[in-house]
Amino acid sequence: MTPPPPESELAVELRGITKRFPGTLANDAVDLSVRRGEIHALMGENGAGKSTLMSVLYGMERPDAGTIRVEGRDVTFASPSAAMAAGLGMVHQSFKLFDSLTVAENVVYAAEPRRFGLVDRAAARRRVRELAEEHGLAVDPDARVGELPVGLRQRVEILKLLHRGARTLILDEPTAVLTPAEADALFAVLKSLTAQGRTVVLVTHKLREVLEGSDRVTVLRDGRVVARLVTADTTADEIAAAMTGRAVELDRVHASGTPGEAILSVEALGTDAVHGVDLGVRAGEIVGIAGVAGNGQSELIGALAGLRPVTAGRVTLRGEDITHASAAERRAKGLAYVPEDRHAVGTAPAATVAENLAMGHHRTSLSSRGLLPPAAVRAHARALVERFGVKAATTEVPASALSGGNLQKLLIGRELAHDAPLLLVEQPTRGVDIGAIQNIHDQLIAYRDAGHAVLLVSAELSEIRGLADRVLVMYEGRVAASYTREEADERTLGLAMAGAAAPAPEAAEATD
Amino acid sequence: MTRTSLAGALRSPLTFSVLAGLVIGALFLVGTGADPLTAYEAVVTGALGGDGIGATLTTTTGVLGLALALAVPLRAGLINLGGDGQMVLGGITAAVTGLNSPLPAPLTVVLALLAGTAAGAGYAVLAALCENRLGVPLLVSSLLLSYPAVSLASYLARYPLKEPGSSLPQTRALPDGVALPAFGDSTVTLGLVLVALAAAAYWFTDRRTALGYEIRMTGLNPRFSAYAGVERRGLTLRLMSVSGGLAGLVGAIGVLSFPYRFVDGSLTAPGYTWTGLTAALLAGAAPLGTVIAAFFFAVLQVGGLAMERTTEVPRELTQVLQAIVIVFLAARLRFPRRLFRKRVTV
Repeated sequence: MTPPPPESELAVELRGITKRFPGTLANDAVDLSVRRGEIHALMGENGAGKSTLMSVLYGMERPDAGTIRVEGRDVTFASPSAAMAAGLGMVHQSFKLFDSLTVAENVVYAAEPRRFGLVDRAAARRRVRELAEEHGLAVDPDARVGELPVGLRQRVEILKLLHRGARTLILDEPTAVLTPAEADALFAVLKSLTAQGRTVVLVTHKLREVLEGSDRVTVLRDGRVVARLVTADTTADEIAAAMTGRAVELDRVHASGTPGEAILSVEALGTDAVHGVDLGVRAGEIVGIAGVAGNGQSELIGALAGLRPVTAGRVTLRGEDITHASAAERRAKGLAYVPEDRHAVGTAPAATVAENLAMGHHRTSLSSRGLLPPAAVRAHARALVERFGVKAATTEVPASALSGGNLQKLLIGRELAHDAPLLLVEQPTRGVDIGAIQNIHDQLIAYRDAGHAVLLVSAELSEIRGLADRVLVMYEGRVAASYTREEADERTLGLAMAGAAAPAPEAAEATD
Repeated sequence: MTRTSLAGALRSPLTFSVLAGLVIGALFLVGTGADPLTAYEAVVTGALGGDGIGATLTTTTGVLGLALALAVPLRAGLINLGGDGQMVLGGITAAVTGLNSPLPAPLTVVLALLAGTAAGAGYAVLAALCENRLGVPLLVSSLLLSYPAVSLASYLARYPLKEPGSSLPQTRALPDGVALPAFGDSTVTLGLVLVALAAAAYWFTDRRTALGYEIRMTGLNPRFSAYAGVERRGLTLRLMSVSGGLAGLVGAIGVLSFPYRFVDGSLTAPGYTWTGLTAALLAGAAPLGTVIAAFFFAVLQVGGLAMERTTEVPRELTQVLQAIVIVFLAARLRFPRRLFRKRVTV
């Protein structure tokens, strides 16, 4: 099964790759050389062309120009299966696994060991155990994939590629869903893989893990290669500057707020996925909720926003009971909300920028006696676009034409414009460029300093630490720990996110 | 700006679909040995000429009325498949009201229109409640509720309300004067004006009001509008009542026009509901587009008959045309951008 050692020093060599989409030049004569046995980080902001480049390499897109060499041989891939046959393997950001099948069944899928024409299950299990042992990817071959935590599912994806004999692994944003500890474990696995002569291409925008885990870095910006760096000789600032084209201040910790009266108070809140949560947010304060995705944060915010039923407890907003109020009533009483999923929930991508900006204002400031004059909608949109620096050709283009960062600015601008005493924000900078991140953080701090209460949910620890005055950690639907800004260092938060924190006082008292 | 929007309109899938339908229809005609130009000319003169325009406008009343009825909920992504039942209930209610009202004739007409509208609205609300309270999808509840309504009206027209001595399943004729005023000696009545007013009101609500905005946003992304506090159940209820009300109004108009009585099957036979639904779908429920599409189908329907009379081409050809237009539209084919590159700025 082991492939013959390739002769070339270069596992992958892309030369002059150009790929044009209507209206954009996604890749402009990109060269990328990945040496055998290295971890090569491919970095760049959204829209820099990373995904396009990887799609070209993996046979999902045909380049308009350029050549691809894999292990010294010229290749053209008509499909991902052709790329797989040549020894490439890709772990996508959203896993491609069958939840109802076992680990072994997933790993051998489409390349099953056969015996008398039938799938040899025993051999499949044996094969998975061997692979797992060989690479330090411990996982039970008989476990159902749907019941595994995310970190282990990722291992299944990697095992799948190894089973098919992938010599070069491409990982697309692999740590987006992992705890810090799981991410560390992943990098240990990747290092052992490269030690055995396999090659890893890491597509990511997280500077820290690139610095800790990679050997070399290629940075893309606007479809072109702007920097080729050796990790040992570079710094986070240098990479960030290459990605954005200017100097950026990373991981800035903003000044603390000055909390005033209580705005939101939550007592023993319960929903289908949240149990006995107590928390309070005061005016002039940002409370951050950290936690690995899927530990009840979304459900908590959904319940506070009036989009999910509350089964227990009490919620008050400025002294008024809103436990069972509708979303509209909550908004009327002073709540604004930036949801996690800006395409599916926060906007109507097919509607225009102006229409998206009008939502929530269309019954209040923009209308009189039920009428909604188009001129008022347009003027409102122009004002917000200007104030929040949303880059759009006009306010009449569909919101789907905006980049991720600009769409997020639109959404945050719209919600901040309500001037509501309480703002719920989920993942404000997920998938947003570094440049836009700063802008969004500044907006949130300014909003807090204007005397508003902000409840922030984020998977980015640096974001929580930079913005929040207090940090709560959610684990399995409960508030597992609560820290002041000074206590909340990365290690402490990381442990609490993995469920290893001493129970927070209020969580310990709460009942189911 | 205007040139851009003109090019945009020409490039729209609608233009492509209509032209493709005409071209493929012409191929069919050539294949059967007929002259496509003569046939198309017969459709146009038959529908829009002096002899046909009256029939076209009468048909337009029904098709447009139902198209609006189905467009209103469709704009929010809700599909009302119960147009037949709501329309027929409106018709039979208007007939009962017209036959039994003690009021003077003009007031009886108004009362019959209102009663028909209310009956259709009430019945559509029932379908909405099935979705809101019981979780039965509107698509299913509205369609299934349609059949008993049609059957009930049919029963009433055949037994308790049947015209004594007649062999036809129809009610007695309405008293003298209980009729919508007609234009000249045509069959076109004030009903067309009522439907046109409904179209204007729909346009205004859609483009100029906060409610219309909420409806459009709900249609584009229901989770987005729910997130912002639009209450879906209430919206469903309101839209279905308007939808059923319009269908009921069309039924009432039908009864208050020639032959001034409820005749079993006469409201559903022309297929207003399905043609109207097609028109609304075709236009994406946009107000102006719905009006244009409804008129287009009315022309095809009436012109097809005329073509059959004058050229011996069967009127089914117009149904073929209609089908081709819909298939192309569903595939969202359009002219390539480069044909318009000089004019369109991206």
